[in-house]
Amino acid sequence: MYCIHCGVKLADSEKVCPLCRTVVPVACPEQVERLYPKKKKPARQLSPHTAQYALIVMFLLPAIICLLCDLQVDSAVGWSGYVMGALAVSYFCLALPGWFTRPNPVVFVPCAFTLVGLYVLYIDLVTKGGWFLSFAFPVIGVFGLIVTAVVTLLRYVRAGALYIVGGAFLALGGSMLLMEFLMSITFDSVRFTGWSIYPLAVLALLGGFLIFLGICRPARQTMERKLFL
Amino acid sequence: MSKHKRTLRWMRLDNAAKIYPAARRRSWSNVFRLSVTLTEEVDASVLQSALEVTVRRFPSMATRLRRGLFWYYLQELEHAPKILPECSYPLTPMGAEETRGCAFRVIVYHKRIAVEFFHSLTDGNGALVFLKTLTAEYLQQKYGITIPCSHGILDRHAPAGEEELEDSFLKYAGAVSAGRSERTAWHLSGTPREELALTCLQVQAKALLDKAHEYGVSVTEFLTAAMMQALLQMQEKAVPKIMRRKPIKVLVPVNLRKLFPSKTLRNFALYVTPELDPRLGQYSFAEICKTVHHFMGAQVNAKQLSRVIATNVGDEKSLAVKLLPLFIKNFVMRAVFDTVGERKSCLTLSNLGMVQLPEEMAQFVDRVDFILSPQAHAPHNCGVISYGDTVNINFIRNIEESELELSFFRALQEQGITATVQSNGG
Repeated sequence: MYCIHCGVKLADSEKVCPLCRTVVPVACPEQVERLYPKKKKPARQLSPHTAQYALIVMFLLPAIICLLCDLQVDSAVGWSGYVMGALAVSYFCLALPGWFTRPNPVVFVPCAFTLVGLYVLYIDLVTKGGWFLSFAFPVIGVFGLIVTAVVTLLRYVRAGALYIVGGAFLALGGSMLLMEFLMSITFDSVRFTGWSIYPLAVLALLGGFLIFLGICRPARQTMERKLFL
Repeated sequence: MSKHKRTLRWMRLDNAAKIYPAARRRSWSNVFRLSVTLTEEVDASVLQSALEVTVRRFPSMATRLRRGLFWYYLQELEHAPKILPECSYPLTPMGAEETRGCAFRVIVYHKRIAVEFFHSLTDGNGALVFLKTLTAEYLQQKYGITIPCSHGILDRHAPAGEEELEDSFLKYAGAVSAGRSERTAWHLSGTPREELALTCLQVQAKALLDKAHEYGVSVTEFLTAAMMQALLQMQEKAVPKIMRRKPIKVLVPVNLRKLFPSKTLRNFALYVTPELDPRLGQYSFAEICKTVHHFMGAQVNAKQLSRVIATNVGDEKSLAVKLLPLFIKNFVMRAVFDTVGERKSCLTLSNLGMVQLPEEMAQFVDRVDFILSPQAHAPHNCGVISYGDTVNINFIRNIEESELELSFFRALQEQGITATVQSNGG
């Protein structure tokens, strides 16, 4: 069969000339094998952006309701500030990365800790607590640094996940001591009793065990064999 | 029961492969397809079993593409990927997510076995060896025949040789490097379409070869000349003012294994870009053939190409480049690719040549195809491959207009060459 317009010989599967788009007057029989299968209509899926907009509404709605109630009762922004702040922090940490195809935790984790810090600063200022600089800031800063370091190393350093996580547990244990110390110097009612030794011991044990697994291959293989999912 | 775990190899990307992960985007990646159409329906379960055997022989191809801190690298796959069903068009973009799992696909449709490779793994010639070997293993398992390991079919049970895995660019780089300056070429454009449109022109190999010999050129040179003539005519229509016309350039890949004693199965191809300046007046077909022939003669030799290799290799050897984190390298490479890389040619015409198969296998193979993905910024590309007495010229495009294909067909028709056309119904 030839195209009546451009003269090219057409394969039996062609209904339209691929070169000049002239319709073939004699339709090809259905049983002729096509070069490629027919286009299937993709299943309708909820667009990721639609889901994101729905999430925004889900976070905004309680925030607005709380704000309106607070304004109605107290005629000022009081307790609703905490709710709105908490919702904003939760939205940023949980939902905002969904806008990106491959959200990079190395960017989002430190940003999330910064936002948590700002939220805590807001609470400190509203309650006139005076504990932000001496307690909350260093504690959130240390936790933020540890988590960011772990996330960055896990993402960009191929091997050594056990060492990284083990090291992080040790650092977290150390930060428990720091936290208790800062609490004792910030709040008059809190005394240094040494409770932080217990989480430190547990975390140090866990961290040490993970590092041991990193070093000792047979032990690691045994654990892999025993614990795989 | 103890199970011995295989140590999986990892490899640096070869010199040519480094640009492809950096340059890709959501809607485009540099992927190409090779396929064989058998005389009978393909049994997917047998093919899956044949694939399991074949991937072990090709540790540089059966890989996934991973990110390091400074460079991408390839990591061998533990198992063969699952065979996929055919889509309504070939070469769907291979995103980072997919290549992280496996950077090639094996696709079955009725009698056809197709492999699609992300270009960082190998070039057309390496992929052809893979496809031949896979098909041989499939036929052997399906029909119980013995196919000799010749004509580019590898022994599936032998280990991969180190020379097959080497980056031959590093080995054959010349002492002197070549300049990079090239003129920007005319660019085609059209109405974008979502799915790729494939148009296959089937031409009789003997008629094409005889005509090429009549002009004293090779088949690749003849087809390049026909493509340039088609592009000249299209530009003539699109740009009426002669002095505003831009050079017509066709990028022709060159298989370096024919010029250097390399056995690598990784990328080892460069390209040359024959060029015509339309401002100089009208060109006859014989003139175009002569220009292409002399250009290729001057450029396609080991000495000239070793200079180009030296230039490309020189960049990656620089300590400053090595120390840049990958995301910065990606940013820079993509910027260079977007502003320079693809502006230097109208399209690519890649001819893989005549496919030879052992007699025991040839009786089961009906047809072979080679399809390139379009360029990132230009809408067309063209892959050519010959098998038996048929040359399959596969045009791919991401625009609605099929003017280039028609114009190319007219250029062949003027030389007395007829063609049968097929498409993916686009």
